[in-house]
Amino acid sequence: VTDLSPVPSPERGGVSPATSVATEDPETRTRVGLPLPFQGRGQGGEVRLWVLGALGLILVGLIVWPFVMPNYRVVFLALTFMYVGLASSWNLVSGYTGYVSFGHAAFFGLGAYTAALLMTRLGAHWLVAVVAGGLLAALVAAPLGYILLRLRGPYFAIAMLGLAAALEVTALSWESLTRGGAGLNLPPSLNTLQVYFAMGITMLVVVGLSYRIRTSKYGLRLLAIREDEEAAETLGINTTAHKVSAFVLSATFPGVLGGLYAWHLSYIDPNSVFRPILSIGMVIMSMFGGVGTVIGPVLGGVVLTLVSEAFWANAPEVHRAAFGILIVLVVLVMPSGVVGFLRQRGLIPAHWRV
Amino acid sequence: MDLQTLGQLLVGGLLLGAVYALAAAGLNLIFGVMRVVNFAHGDMMVLGAYVAFWLFFLWGVNPLVAILATAPLLFAFGWVLQKLLVNRVVGQPLLMSLILMWGVSLIITNAELKFWTSNVRSVPYFSGAIDVLGISVSQSRGVAFLVALVMSLGVWLFLQRTRWGKAIRATAQSAEMARVCGIDVERVRLITFGLAAAMAGVAGNLLVTILAVTPVTGPTFLLKAFSIIVIGGLGSFSGAFIGALVVGVLESFSAFTLNAQVADAVIYSSLILFLLIRPSGLLGVKE
Repeated sequence: VTDLSPVPSPERGGVSPATSVATEDPETRTRVGLPLPFQGRGQGGEVRLWVLGALGLILVGLIVWPFVMPNYRVVFLALTFMYVGLASSWNLVSGYTGYVSFGHAAFFGLGAYTAALLMTRLGAHWLVAVVAGGLLAALVAAPLGYILLRLRGPYFAIAMLGLAAALEVTALSWESLTRGGAGLNLPPSLNTLQVYFAMGITMLVVVGLSYRIRTSKYGLRLLAIREDEEAAETLGINTTAHKVSAFVLSATFPGVLGGLYAWHLSYIDPNSVFRPILSIGMVIMSMFGGVGTVIGPVLGGVVLTLVSEAFWANAPEVHRAAFGILIVLVVLVMPSGVVGFLRQRGLIPAHWRV
Repeated sequence: MDLQTLGQLLVGGLLLGAVYALAAAGLNLIFGVMRVVNFAHGDMMVLGAYVAFWLFFLWGVNPLVAILATAPLLFAFGWVLQKLLVNRVVGQPLLMSLILMWGVSLIITNAELKFWTSNVRSVPYFSGAIDVLGISVSQSRGVAFLVALVMSLGVWLFLQRTRWGKAIRATAQSAEMARVCGIDVERVRLITFGLAAAMAGVAGNLLVTILAVTPVTGPTFLLKAFSIIVIGGLGSFSGAFIGALVVGVLESFSAFTLNAQVADAVIYSSLILFLLIRPSGLLGVKE
């Protein structure tokens, strides 16, 4: 199918004429992570085969990994999955709609506490507890998103920051339920394989969903909201429904991952699951790879977890400060992330919605 | 709760609020002029607290005299920060400045942890209480209140009455128009960031005589400052003072009736509540 019409149509990954005024020139479009107008799809089939082959190989490698590698590396990769999953979840709302959340750890912590309480108080099976953690996060996110997503720009960011802080303080002071700062001890999970695959599958679901959204009309409408919410509204997009649904999706998986994390560590306290560095981690991982792209958060999650681990192992005393320096460098040198950087140099075909 | 306790809490809260106001007004100044949310503001307050602490600890310097060092040091710090980093993200998408300042905050916190340890620091210089109309006020709060008030008044006069103050206000209204009128906008931004950092530093310098401070106090201070400017109105200089009084009183009442931890939760919740009911704050202009 070749479409050579000069006007980018919404279905093709362009924005509709009403919103395209500011984003018509190719450079701006590349910078903000929008695909360029469709320019034909020559040898797409062949490339797609290569990509699928590579993905398949990686998947096989990941499945084999826990059976051949020492325990330490298996746990490390499981945590990498977790961070990739978290970053991709954050990207669903903040990357696609442009509503920057600085408190996504709120949902991670909610999931972690839900799962931990269900397992310790009611003796629930880990799978049930973890799923419940995700559901609760979604349940909380729905009304919250409906209310908070009316706030624009810095207001939304600050509100989310305040939310995570308020939840942390609540977990600290509601001692009859959470045992406060003493934390909760869970029945230990001695099976690393289960943790590994549970984290891995959750991550695959998030990333798959992210790709599905990015290549769908729903995703285009989210991007339209990011580019110009008023214009999107004028075009008949129900912006509230879109924003809230994206927010709920992006809250669910951190809830699940929080539960898995609690189960894996078999101990949580308010600081470990609500700490701001978790929220900021999701942001910076996505930014490193490329906000609003599918593979950006994956790339950022993998690279930054590796870098972070290297610092922990070799220079723990500068670990956090190094993280700060990295953040500053990313903003100054590579604001559109690795994906944006490669796109600008034409190393990623413009019509690839990755 | 009898009337005297009520008065006590009210006054105590108001006094503390005025000190927070000084810092929050700085945060507002930066946002107003540059549309940058300074996530490192709490850490600048902590830096000011450390200047006062070390001067007192090493040489027994009176914390009020220490302000003479804190203000210029933090001004220079803010100036350099603006020159090297912030200046590159002014006018860029919000995410850029937010994340950049968060990175700066991480660097400051961890440098402090590395060099000055995580020990809890305070400057027990003013002890004892003053009796005002049957309400006893701790001396440190009284002094901090007065100094913060004078400083804020000074900044306000600077903004209202001087050429540079006028230039800052003009830039806040429209950087483009200010540039057209021949205002050196780059320089205005340098002065703004320096001034705001100095205000944060002086507030920290005063707070360390009332509260204890560690390198990780920064985020707590930051969230309080956010609550203040959200309640008062983002970008409004005088709004910060109304907001600060509300937060100060809220804090002292909930700390008394509940506990200090819950007091923080109350403040953060009121932050969110205010964002929902009146996002432009009490005195803020609608975006």
